[in-house]
This record gives sequence, structure tokens and C-alpha cells, in this order.
Amino acid sequence: MPVITPQEIKTQDIDALAVRVFLKSLEMIGGPRKLILYRNLTWIPSLLEAAYSVVLANEYLKTESEIAEFLGLTRQTVRNILRADPELVMKKLEGELKEKDLKAHTAGGLAKLAYQEIKEGRDHLTIFADLVIQSSEALGITWPIEVLRRLKGIDFPVTKEVLLKKLEGIKIQDKSMEELLEKLNYPIKSPAHLLKEIRINLENA
Amino acid sequence: MKEEREIIEEAVSPLKEAGAKAPELKGIPTGIKGLDELFFTTKMTKKGVKKVPLGGIPQYAVMNLTGISDTGKSLIVEQFAITQAKLDIPTAFITVETPAAFLAAALKNRAQAMNIDYNTIENNIIIIDAASYRSLREELPTLLDTLAYAIKQYHIKATVIDSVTGLFEAKEMMARSIVRSLFNFMKKWYQTALFVSQKRSGHEELTAEAAGGYAVSHIVDGAMVLSKKIINSSYDERLYKKPIGEIVRLFRIDGCRMCGHDTDTHIMEITETGLVKIGPSLKALRG
Repeated sequence: MPVITPQEIKTQDIDALAVRVFLKSLEMIGGPRKLILYRNLTWIPSLLEAAYSVVLANEYLKTESEIAEFLGLTRQTVRNILRADPELVMKKLEGELKEKDLKAHTAGGLAKLAYQEIKEGRDHLTIFADLVIQSSEALGITWPIEVLRRLKGIDFPVTKEVLLKKLEGIKIQDKSMEELLEKLNYPIKSPAHLLKEIRINLENA
Repeated sequence: MKEEREIIEEAVSPLKEAGAKAPELKGIPTGIKGLDELFFTTKMTKKGVKKVPLGGIPQYAVMNLTGISDTGKSLIVEQFAITQAKLDIPTAFITVETPAAFLAAALKNRAQAMNIDYNTIENNIIIIDAASYRSLREELPTLLDTLAYAIKQYHIKATVIDSVTGLFEAKEMMARSIVRSLFNFMKKWYQTALFVSQKRSGHEELTAEAAGGYAVSHIVDGAMVLSKKIINSSYDERLYKKPIGEIVRLFRIDGCRMCGHDTDTHIMEITETGLVKIGPSLKALRG
């Protein structure tokens, strides 16, 4: 009778997802430079705690007590993080940035928004682009490097018109970007989605 | 970061389009004598609509099997897994209570009692030992990823979890979220699944209420409820035709959203060799 062995158990990496959520929330507040500008790098531990809390609650269905025990926080702090209103946080963010201490519900709101963005495929763009550029160079595929370099600074989901303007002039395997962009499914939800759509179209050409 | 509301166009489709992808309603034999005849479908005839037995639980259904301790839940899922394996249908058995080696021993005994050659089934039951590995029991993504791997690797078509209650021990407030995730997973992977759900003795007998957690039974496609009763009055003696002090086991299908089903309460028997049989309804017994 086959028994799934310990080597076959597909353990998920909590840390990787929590760090992605943390980086995304950092990007959403304007990047580390903004925290340096306001002299409040003390926000970083709270953002990381909030990222772990949101991942543990949503992916691992952990209770508030379990999360509190894991992170060494009080149950009330975890509750404030998990019950934060993301929309309200974004509205109040500019004012909050001048505060030295990050409130649990602000960190929670940011982490919740960041988690939602990650789930929809929109990782921290700079980090994502940097990693893809390095991998593309290692594999000898150059077109994603150029595409991602040109995408810096744009918001996703993105329309065909924006892409046509940003990616004008690029050629991939003798096909113009204008020709390729005509065939994609819109809206493009994330950089990863765009690269996948281009690859599928190149394969089907 | 956009705060605009999004329209999910893919979630809207006409019935005709969704119907084209609808699975065929087909019965999956359970190996429990008397159970397969309790699920029905209908057929149009010249004389009108006719009730036709389905011959098992509906294919791709996710059913809860609930009851207090010692009512035969584990026996039923073991018989089900052995029957699937005998039919050459690879079946995942997620054991949350009993370690793999002990489960294998129980399945061997059960196969013998069912007069099925153990060698013909042993490669078709794939055990996922969540009783021995904490990460499988306590980290749902790990369990689901491992099950997805097993489904792809062994072409699994049916899944048994004994018990889902073990996945939310000491955190019943998470029961609905956990069962919802498991249910969605089973649907995504087209599994016919049985979830054993332990019922607290304080809950009313023969109801699916609070079966293994708050409103868990609402999530799944249907529930089968088991209970037991001690004969302690002459009325019981007359009704159940058993002497005072004996135990009678009862069985009822509490609902099934995928097909029609019998709604009576039935006598359930566990034979001396440990096989479960569904007997006559109480209505028939009373005459």
C-alpha cells in the first residue's frame, strides 16, 4: 500500500510569502526611502509582523492565539492587525507616515492590501523585475529584460494603449511588439501575466 | 494601487455554457450493503417521472459522514476505500487519527471480511499519514499541496479523510474555513470524497447540526448521519425488536444537493467481522 513519504510531503514556505507581502507593503508606502525620509524605520518590524499575521491567518488558517504565540505578540495586537480596514488605512497613510510608531491596524491594513496584490500576481515590481532580469540573463533570453525595464513606474492592471506607448519599438523573434500586443488578452493584471501572454503568443506563432 | 471595483466577467455565464461542462450524474458504489440503493435520480417515461436508483453516492460529491464515537464512521470509509480500490479506482486515504501502519492493518482485516484479496487492492489505496506528520495536520496548504501531488502521481479519483475534525482540533472556530478549503479543493480536482466528521455527544442525535463544527454540513454536498441508541424501555424493545440493554445503530441521509435520496431513518448493523450494513427503515420495521 503506497504511503506518501516525508520527502513527498510538499511543505510550503511561510517565510517566502510573508517576505513578499512585507516587500509589497513597503512598496505601497513609497519604498524604504520614504521611511528613511520621515526617520521612521521603526515601522519595519511592525510591517513584518503584520505580513506574517496576514499570511498565517489567510493561508494557514491559524487562530489569533496561534499567531500571537508564533510572533510573540498579544492576541489583541493580532486582532487589530487582522481586523484592520485596508481602504481607511490608505486614506490616512500620509498623516500616519509622520508618526514614529506604526499602529497595529495601519500595519494590518497595509499587509492585507499587499497580500491581496500578491494573490492577484502583482509582486513588488522592482524586486520582481530584478529577479527576472537576472534569471533571463542566466538563461540567455533577453526580451523579458527589455520589457520589464520599460515597465518600471506603471500601475497594473494595464491597458493595451499604455503598453503600446511603453513598449514601442521592441522586437521579439522578428515580431514587432505592436503585432504581439494586438493578440494579448486584456486587461494585463501583472508583469508576470504580461510575460506569460507574450510567451504563449510567441509559441503559438 | 487602484481602489476601483472590479467586474469578474469570467464568473458570469449562461446556464447553457455551464451545462456543457456539467459532469454526468452517476453513482459510485460504496461497498456498504443497503446504502447504494438510497440515492436516486429521475427518468422521464411515458407514464411520467420515474425514480431510478443511482447505485451509489453521486460521482464527484463531497459528503460528510458524521456521528458520535463508535457509530461506524471509520468502518464505512474503509469499506468505501477498499471498494474503490477493487474497482481499480485509485483512492487517497488521509488518516488524521490512526498512523499509516495501523490503518494498513485495519484495511487488511476489512478486505478479508469483505472477501476481497488484499493483494488486488493494496496499490490502489494511497495513504497520506497526517496522524504521524504534524505539518500535514496543522498546515492546510501543506496537506493540500501533498494531496495534489498524490492525485497527479497516482491518478487518484476518490478521497477519504478520517477525520476532518482532527484538522481543526482545539480551534473549532476555524472549522468552516478549513472544510470550505477542502471542499473547494475536492471540486477543483474532481474527487468523490467522504469526510468523517466527529460529532459531540451533547448534540442532538441524528442531526447534522454542528457536525464537526459550526454549520460545516452546509458547505459539503450532503451528510450521512450515524447514531446509536440503548434499548431501555419496552416500547424500544417492541420497535427495534431487540432485548433491553442492547444497542441499535441508526443511519440517515441528512441531505444531498446532487441527487435525490431516501429520507427515512434506517437500522444500521455492524457485523461481528466489522462490516457495516444498512438495514430496513424504522417505518418498515414498525410495519
